[in-house]
Order: sequence, then structure tokens, then C-alpha cells
Amino acid sequence: MTEAEKSFTPPPGTAPIVQLKGIAKYFPGVIANEDVDLEVMPGEIHALLGENGAGKSTLMNILTGIYQADAGEIIIDGYRQEFASPVQAIAAGIGMVHQHFKLVQAFTVAENIHLGWDETPKRASKSVLESRTEDLAKRYNLATRPGATVSDLSTGEQQRVEILRVLARRARLLILDEPTAVLTPAEARELFRALRDFVAEGNAVIFISHKLDEVMEISDRVSILRGGRKIATRDTRNCNAHMLANLMVGREIVLADMRGRGPHAAPISKDPVLVLDDVCVASGTGGNALDQVNLKLHAGEILGIAGVAGNGQRELSQVLTGVKAASSGKVIVDGTHMKSANAKIFADFGIGHIPEDRLHSGLAPALSITTNAVMREYDQAPVSPHGIYNPRSATRLAREIAEAAEVMIPDYGMPVRNLSGGNQQRLVARREMRIADKVLVAAYPSRGLDVGAINTMLRYIVELRDAGAGVVLISEELEELLNLSDRIAVLYEGKVMGVVENDNLDIEEIGLLMGGRTKAGEVA
Amino acid sequence: MFSSFRIQRLPSSHPGIALAARLAAIVIALVVAGVGIALAGMNPFDLGARVITASFGSSFGMEDLGVLVIPLILTGLAVAVGQQVGAWNIGAEGQFYAGAFAASAVGLFVPGEGPLILILMFVAGLVGGAAWILIPTLARAYANVNELITTLLLNFVATLLVYYVATGPWRDRSGMANSATPPLSTSVPEFWGIVHWGFPIAIGLAILVGAALAFSRWGYEVRLVGSNPSAAKYAGIPVRKHLIMVMLLSGAIAGLAGMLEIAGTVHRLQGGISNNFGYLGIMVAVLARGSPIGVIFSGAFMALILNSGIVLQTQGLTTSVVLAITGFILFLTAIGDELSYYRITREKPEGAA
Ligand SMILES: Nc1ncnc2c1ncn2[C@@H]1O[C@H](COP(=O)(O)OP(=O)(O)OP(=O)(O)O)[C@@H](O)[C@H]1O
Ligand SMILES: [Mg+2]
Repeated sequence: MTEAEKSFTPPPGTAPIVQLKGIAKYFPGVIANEDVDLEVMPGEIHALLGENGAGKSTLMNILTGIYQADAGEIIIDGYRQEFASPVQAIAAGIGMVHQHFKLVQAFTVAENIHLGWDETPKRASKSVLESRTEDLAKRYNLATRPGATVSDLSTGEQQRVEILRVLARRARLLILDEPTAVLTPAEARELFRALRDFVAEGNAVIFISHKLDEVMEISDRVSILRGGRKIATRDTRNCNAHMLANLMVGREIVLADMRGRGPHAAPISKDPVLVLDDVCVASGTGGNALDQVNLKLHAGEILGIAGVAGNGQRELSQVLTGVKAASSGKVIVDGTHMKSANAKIFADFGIGHIPEDRLHSGLAPALSITTNAVMREYDQAPVSPHGIYNPRSATRLAREIAEAAEVMIPDYGMPVRNLSGGNQQRLVARREMRIADKVLVAAYPSRGLDVGAINTMLRYIVELRDAGAGVVLISEELEELLNLSDRIAVLYEGKVMGVVENDNLDIEEIGLLMGGRTKAGEVA
Repeated sequence: MFSSFRIQRLPSSHPGIALAARLAAIVIALVVAGVGIALAGMNPFDLGARVITASFGSSFGMEDLGVLVIPLILTGLAVAVGQQVGAWNIGAEGQFYAGAFAASAVGLFVPGEGPLILILMFVAGLVGGAAWILIPTLARAYANVNELITTLLLNFVATLLVYYVATGPWRDRSGMANSATPPLSTSVPEFWGIVHWGFPIAIGLAILVGAALAFSRWGYEVRLVGSNPSAAKYAGIPVRKHLIMVMLLSGAIAGLAGMLEIAGTVHRLQGGISNNFGYLGIMVAVLARGSPIGVIFSGAFMALILNSGIVLQTQGLTTSVVLAITGFILFLTAIGDELSYYRITREKPEGAA
């Protein structure tokens, strides 16, 4: 793949930056890690691959002192180390950027960078902190706005702040847990450039991702976990995406065009089930997050929504599912004009919703798996016969959902945040598909899923379509959209730039629309 | 070959270990308090024996405990209920006074006596408490104003209001005491010695609320709203409605505590009637980790500590020493709670099976 121009080759005999030996971690009923050996050399980007729940995040949490291993040792520069907390790990040069950012939303970038850092000057004014941040940003080539409040930043910018925070503390090993899952392609490219610069100075990166193309592009070596054990470490240049997928899952995976309909598939309905008629949604900053959107969704079809994240996708899915009211225009469900937003009425009608940020709005992380799994059906029999909530029936339903989602759960009473990121996503997706008789609004449904699970998920979406539901599929993966959708609408700055039939469609045209242009060249 | 020790923080604590940690905390606190008392020249064993005989040795002692536990359970329940929906009601003290005030108004000025008046007083207590948390509730629900400060500030208003009416307009002009109202026309009947029917009401209410939270659709919705409002909104649950209703319920329960205190125990309204029950309720709720059923036990524990404090005062210990001991026990209990999340493991030496 693309060879790094400036690369760092450690002299022979150099000790690894980090060496893990025989690491094990057990949770009640789960072997999260067992007998894991891993070496990370100076100058390398080391990818960590594995199915959902394979133990990647746990292993990195051990390396950064969030968890302590039940067995095994961590060796840094040849010395055995024990980290009781992330503070000790960062002092030893190991820093991590988590899947879910840990910045203080109400603070500025400069304040976040200096928070809890022993090099923060004792009595520093705002401008001192900001100029220090400016210097750091320059040094590590990570553009940020030191004075901006974090809550105003895009996801990509927030991630840069997280990385800067870690690098400022002189990390020599940077760990990134699914960093690109939330980035636009352009932001991802920028991130890769920064990572290459970082390792060129003799540092190292551990990179967790489910996107195999990325792994092929960015990594020097890749290690694969399965069921908590490391099963292989390979040089990336001797691999291809197909091979990695097989190693990960242990079986053959075929991604296919799924637009073909079987003989029993429901036809596309004549009348639409869900209509947006001139819908606007006001954004927090005074403008319109959705601007005069007209969309029609028919039963039995998949409508893809293409576009760079942050162009109104969140508001679109909220308005389609009754979470948010339109500030003007009409939302029409099965011929009825819905005057106010009420997610319950939409759900009862048969509209399922896989939200884009499962941890923020799709789940209550601190509550039990059972409580979260029954969120759509807690008020009906069998969970609540005669209005009485029956915890035992709730757990039975939760088990049913978890089994359909192929998530292994040792204890339904434990907080749902203890599940791996991908397993949370699977659970939410199955929960929503159960109620989606009429419509499924799926925002980035494959985010955080491993290749096998993505395949399963997409197949279920197709089955829903064949059963006669209308599906709105919001995605950044053009390939996914092309493989599934009957029609594709392109969203740009809250406007629908165009809706195109997905046969013989011109990918270039989609690309132009995504950038806010039409084929004739005019700018919207 | 030495084996080494590791300290680990567990994501959740084992209930048995948590209980053991609490018991250990109490024992340590008692030992330290005993040493302190011994240094002050008194015999801690002697005092301890006296506390135990005074609390459990006679039915009088048990009755004292029984009366004391009622307001503690109720204010603790009020705070715990608020926590369920994600609200910190620091104002149980004020709602207690407001409930006592409203119930006294009925008891003093509505003519007649008997069950009808009692029911009116009961309702007045609930409404008074709810009314006192109304503004903080609406401010939180509609303007996202933090209820921590608003409920706290209203405590001072309520305390002063009751003090004012009890020493001013509603003062008992017949008797010698001029800092209290005349006796109320009606009281809550007693069912065991001096323990009145507030006792079963408090326990019954805690069980009822606990059951409703665990076994009703309403309870499910409240828990979801309290844990993650965005998720509740996503599921179509009326977040604001639940927040308002549950906060008002919290205030009403604290108001009921005030009503039962004046109508069952004190029989008249006077300044300082709450004895800090509202603030103690915060500790009761925290010790119970926000569980309504747990409040029954932590309320009883708190009553025992307070009662021991009263006994110790009669033995010549000053109030501040008693308060210090009480605080110390609670402090150590909190530390014990936190420590129960840690585990020390001994690692086997290299090569051992
Ligand atoms: N705190 C915890 N308590 C109990 N079980 C846990 C805890 N943390 C992780 N697990 C379990 O350990 C296993 C490994 O989880 P981990 O998060 O490491 O997976 P992962 O490889 O990062 O998966 P994903 O790709 O889905 O993010 C899972 O079965 C998970 O449920
Ligand atoms: Mg993970």
C-alpha cells in the first residue's frame, strides 16, 4: 500500500517500546483477555484487529492503567511496570484516546489541554494557556483553536484536542480506539498524516479499527485477537483485507450487492409511508440544521442518505422518528400529519430508530442490560402485563434480543456500559428492528461493528425491506449505500441536493452533490 | 521468591464486602470514639453499656427510637426519590417546615376535631411540602436551573417563617411559653407507647415507593429519566412531566414528615422543630445509596446514632463531642463504602502453578 516517505527504522536490537507478556483479564463469566503477548516497536503503527468483544479495548485499558491485569506483565523499555491508574501510564509515556471522548465540554480547548497536567504553570492567565496551546498545536502539527469551547467543536476537532492532550504529556506510545469511526474521510486523512509524523520521530501508535482498508493503509504490522487471545501478528505488507477478515472471524466473508429481491419480497408501495414536506429544523446557532427538506419513503424500499457527517443527518433522523419537531413543514406518517414530536407515537406506529450516538441517546449506560434492552417494549405484555412491570419477563425479553443480536451476556443485571462498543451497537440495532414493522431509520448502523457483524446487520436490513418495511439508511460508506439502496438522497448543509435512482448511477455526481455542487457546476 | 501484592479497583462492589466494610467502619469509629472518651477521663465501656441499656433495655428506649425513626425515614425517602429522577433535593428541611406549617394551620384554625381534621392536616402536610419545592422544580424543568441551590436557599426562608409565626402571630398567648403555638386540636393516634401511626406510615410509604419504582411502568420511566434524559426522550418518555411529578412527590414526602412530627410527636408548632431532620435525610439517603427500601434501614441506623447521642449528653458529654462522634461514624462509613470497591490480590511467584 502507500509507503510512508519518511519512516523510522529502529537499529537492530532495539528494545520494544512496550512489551506485553501473558496478559489475562477475567470478568465474571467472561474471558476478556488470556495469554496475550504483544510487542510494539519504536517507529511503527501497530493495528489491533478483532471481532466485537474480542478484548481489544480491555487490553488497551490494561496497558493504560484503567484496569489491572489478572496475570501477565507489562514491560516498558525493558523494565517491568505496574500502572495503578492512567496517570502513571502517561508518566511512563503511554497515552490513550478513547472511543468516547473525555473532554470537559464547557471548557475551552486550552483549559482542557492543561487540565490535570503537572506542567501547567501554577498561576496562568487565559492568554498564557492559550499561547502554550498554540505552541503545542504547532509542534505536533494538529490545528486547533485554543480559545474555542469544546462543545462548539466538530468531532474531528475534538479528537485532535484529545490527541494533543496526550502528546503534550510526552507520550511515546499513542493508543487510538476506533478513532476514525466518527471522522469524515478528510478528517481521517489528516489524522493519518499526523500519526505518520508522530511515529517518524521514533514513537509508536496502536490503532484499533474495524475498517480493514484503513488498517492496510496506515499500519506497519497488525495483531489479531479472537476470543480474548492473540492469534497472529503479521507484517501488513504481506496481508490483504480479505485475509485479515478471515483471520479475525475464522470464516469466509462475502460482501455482496444486496439490491436483488427474492420472489417473496414485498413490492415497493405506491403510497409513501413517511413523508417530509418542506421540513425545516432550526439549529442551536440560529440557522437551519435542515432546510426545506422534501423526502418520500415507500414501504419495501431502502432510501440511502449520503453526505459528509454533520450536514443535518442527526436532525433528519430525529425528525423522522418523532424525537424532534420540525420548526416548519409537515411530517406525514402513513397519511397522517404529525403535529407534534412524540417519539412514543412514532415507535408505536412501527418506526424503529438506530441513533447515531448510541451511548448518548440510545442507551442509559449506567442501567442494566435488561433495562436497556426492553426500552421499546417495557410498557406492553409480556414485560408489563396489566401495567405491572415484571423484571423477570423483562430479562427474558432481553435474552431473546441478545440472542438474536448474537451477543454473549454473562449477567443481564450488569450495566450496559460493560459491554464492548460493538456489542452495544448490536443490541440497540436488534431492539429497534424488532419494532420496525413499518419503518427503520438507521443512522450509521454499522459503526463500531466488525466485518462479520456488518454483514449480518446489512442482511437483516434487507430482510426488513423484503418484509415490507421502508428503510432510511444514513451512512458515510458509499459502498454500503450503493450495495443496499434503491434510491440515494444526498444531504449537504441541511439541504437535499438531489435524489438519484441507484441504477447505473454516476458516482462522480454523488461526490459533487456531497460537496454542495450539482453537475452543471453551480454551487448551492 | 517473594509474592507481590496488587491493589485493584473493581467496577462494582460485592454486596457482602460492602456490608462488611460498613460494619468495620462502625467498629473503627466506635473504637476511636472510645479512645477519645477515655482520654477525656470517662469510661467508654460504662458509657457504651448505658447507651445500650437506654436504647434497648426498656420499652421507653425503644419507643424513643421508634418516634425518632419516623422523620428520618421520610426525609431520607424524600431525598432518595429525588435521586431516582436525577434531582438533588437538598431542601427537605424547608419542605419539612412547610408541611408542618400547613398542617398546623389546619390544626389551629379549622374548627372541629377528629379524623376529618386529621385527614385535612395530612393533605395539608403533603401539599405544603410539594408547594415548597414547586419553584425549584419548575426552574429546573423549564430553565434548567440547578435545584441544588434553589432548594437549599428555600430552607432558610421556611425556617424563619415558622420561627416568625410561632413566636409572633400564632404564639400561644395563654401559657407561659411564648415561642410556640397552642396545642393542636388533633393528633395522630399512638399505636405503641408513644410511637404513633406515623411509624407504619413511614415504613409502608418507603416500601410502596420502592415497589412502584421496581415494578411499574412509571418506575421504569422514572429510572430511565434519572439515568439518561436523552435516552428517555429518545424512547418517547415525557421527561419533563416525570421530573416535575417526582420532585413534587419528594417535597410532599418531606412535608408529610413535618406534619407527622407536629401532629404525632410535638403536638404544637415551634421554631427549630425540625432538628435538622431534612439535612440528616440527605445522609440517610446517601447511606441507602438512593434505595427507598434501604432508607428504612439507614434511617433506623441514623436514629440509633442520634438516640445514643442524646443518651451521651445526659451523661455529661457536650453536644459538640456527640456531633463529632456521629459525624465520624458517617464519615468512616462513606470511606468503607468506597474501599469496598478495592481488592488486594496476592500474585503467585513466577512458575508456581
Ligand atoms: N467492566 C466490564 N465488566 C464486565 N465485562 C466486561 C467489562 N469490560 C469489558 N467486558 C467484557 O469483556 C469482553 C471484551 O470487551 P472489549 O470491550 O475489550 O471488546 P472489544 O474488542 O473492544 O470489542 P468492540 O470491537 O466491540 O469494541 C466483552 O465480552 C465485554 O462484555
Ligand atoms: Mg472496543
